[in-house]
Amino acid sequence: MPSIISVADLVKRYGPLEAVRGISFEVGEGEIFGLLGPNGAGKTTTVEILEGLRRADAGSAVVAGVDVVHDPQAVKDRIGVQLQASAFPENFLAKEVIDLFALFYGRRVDALALLAAVDLADKAGSRQEKLSGGQRQRLSIAVAMVNEPRVLFLDEPTTGLDPQARRNLWELIRKIRQRGTTVFLTTHYLDEAEILCDRVAVMDGGRIIALDAPGALVAALLARGFTKPALQQQANLEDVFLDLTGRELRED
Amino acid sequence: MSGGRQAVGQILGYTRMLLRAYVRDRSALFFSVVLPLMFMLIFGALNFGSFGHVTVGIDDEAQNADSARFTAILQGVETLSVRKGTLVGERESLVKGDRDLVIVIPKDFRLAPAAAGTATPPALTVYANAGRAQQASVGQAILAQVVDQLTFAVNRTAPVVALRVERVNSRDLRYVDFLVPGILAMTIMQLGISGVAFGLVAAKQRGVLRRIMATPFPPRRFLAAQVLQRLILAVVQTLILLGVALLAFRVQVVGSLAELLAVTILGSVVFLCLGFALAGWATTENQVAPLTQIVTLPQLFLSGVFFATDAVPAVVRPLTSLLPLTFLADALREISTNGATLWDVRGALLGLLVWSAIGFALAVRLFRFES
Repeated sequence: MPSIISVADLVKRYGPLEAVRGISFEVGEGEIFGLLGPNGAGKTTTVEILEGLRRADAGSAVVAGVDVVHDPQAVKDRIGVQLQASAFPENFLAKEVIDLFALFYGRRVDALALLAAVDLADKAGSRQEKLSGGQRQRLSIAVAMVNEPRVLFLDEPTTGLDPQARRNLWELIRKIRQRGTTVFLTTHYLDEAEILCDRVAVMDGGRIIALDAPGALVAALLARGFTKPALQQQANLEDVFLDLTGRELRED
Repeated sequence: MSGGRQAVGQILGYTRMLLRAYVRDRSALFFSVVLPLMFMLIFGALNFGSFGHVTVGIDDEAQNADSARFTAILQGVETLSVRKGTLVGERESLVKGDRDLVIVIPKDFRLAPAAAGTATPPALTVYANAGRAQQASVGQAILAQVVDQLTFAVNRTAPVVALRVERVNSRDLRYVDFLVPGILAMTIMQLGISGVAFGLVAAKQRGVLRRIMATPFPPRRFLAAQVLQRLILAVVQTLILLGVALLAFRVQVVGSLAELLAVTILGSVVFLCLGFALAGWATTENQVAPLTQIVTLPQLFLSGVFFATDAVPAVVRPLTSLLPLTFLADALREISTNGATLWDVRGALLGLLVWSAIGFALAVRLFRFES
């Protein structure tokens, strides 16, 4: 599998603080790759360097053929992004948001087709600020796809969503990968990483401390003699919740 | 070359989308069109701060042809609204504030040359409303003028003079004519400073700018469209307000409309630059309100928007005459009410140019896409 992201010895400092301390990893084309870690581990800084939003201080990073350490601006055309804590301009209809971002990429797109792909065709004429949390995340994924990116970056895509909306978004992410787009995501939810990602990197204190397929990481842990004191149940509270409320998507 | 054409296409396309979203924004429409119209209505129709109408009460004790002629001349002056009554009744009205001046025409009143060597000419007694000094003094000035002209007419041969008196006063003295250019200047300032500062700080804080900066769209094109959108809005706003002023308030615009719009655009540039500077300075929406008010409120009261700057204490006048809103209001007013040309108001235009240079330097220094 050829690499679409290659990172080697990447460093980013904020004053005396070294947020990213020489990390290296590769992401293969067509993978769903997860970057995990507690708050302050350096995940968002790493992602923002790969997205061309921040400049690295040392090391190298190549994303979709662009050296983002030396030319961060050039990568923006080849990737799609969904940022944490970002928003679309107010008083724009959903389909106008698509057209707006297509204009920013200098492209013409079929806004309705893109909205239909994220299951928002019936919301094309709604103002974007009136959409529910899950709908807005899907709109933001549709926007991230306007330039037919080779890599899609998703920063905590399911934070704040209800269980139904999370599952719906996982489906969407799998569909995007099936079309050949590489997906690079960060998340706090380990179940999400386990279900969705082909491989995960665990970051802490600015370093990558583990990197493998989720199953392999679990197997390695068990091989070191780890046991869980708790009784193994065949279901958990989330299964109860979904059994009671159904898997159908809700919109507030 | 195709890069240049793409830039223009992107800037115009983004401008068009911004305008469409703006029209959809009820509160923005309210502040940019409805509120200034309400100001115009309240200050204009209620004639608040009016020095346009001077109400004169006349107690005609002579009741002869000459006193009737004199009264008719005063009635012919558009600025004066003349009431007739008894001295007691008129003085009562004066005390109540319903009259600005009360004139008593004495029994011996006549319009004839005084016989050589005889006693003093008939004297008009005038009571002035001290509470409305401005109106009273305008009334007295008109009265003095009328008496002078009559003296001239009676002693020589020249006939009617009242028409000239009216011409001199009517144009300058309508308050709404004075007010409308001030309101225009005010809305241009608000659109520039408050519009930009509130809009961009909110966009920055909510992460809209971050999201746009994650696309390859160059920041310069973003700023160009933001500025172009507001220049178009300023022109449209000016045309709407002027249209209402002309049709509903019968405001006279003496100067050229094109020159008025040219000054509007220059004024917008000044306040847009200051708005971008403030948007760079403030990082949260909570900081924007006090900051914009510190910049706009003093100008609103000191720059002659609602009242002539003569009302400003002489001590601070050298300072207030240098405020950007003073330059803008003065230039618009000179063109609108006095028919001045751009060349005539070159002093104010120079002031605006200096302010736009200052504003641009501040904007470049302070404005940031990230908070």
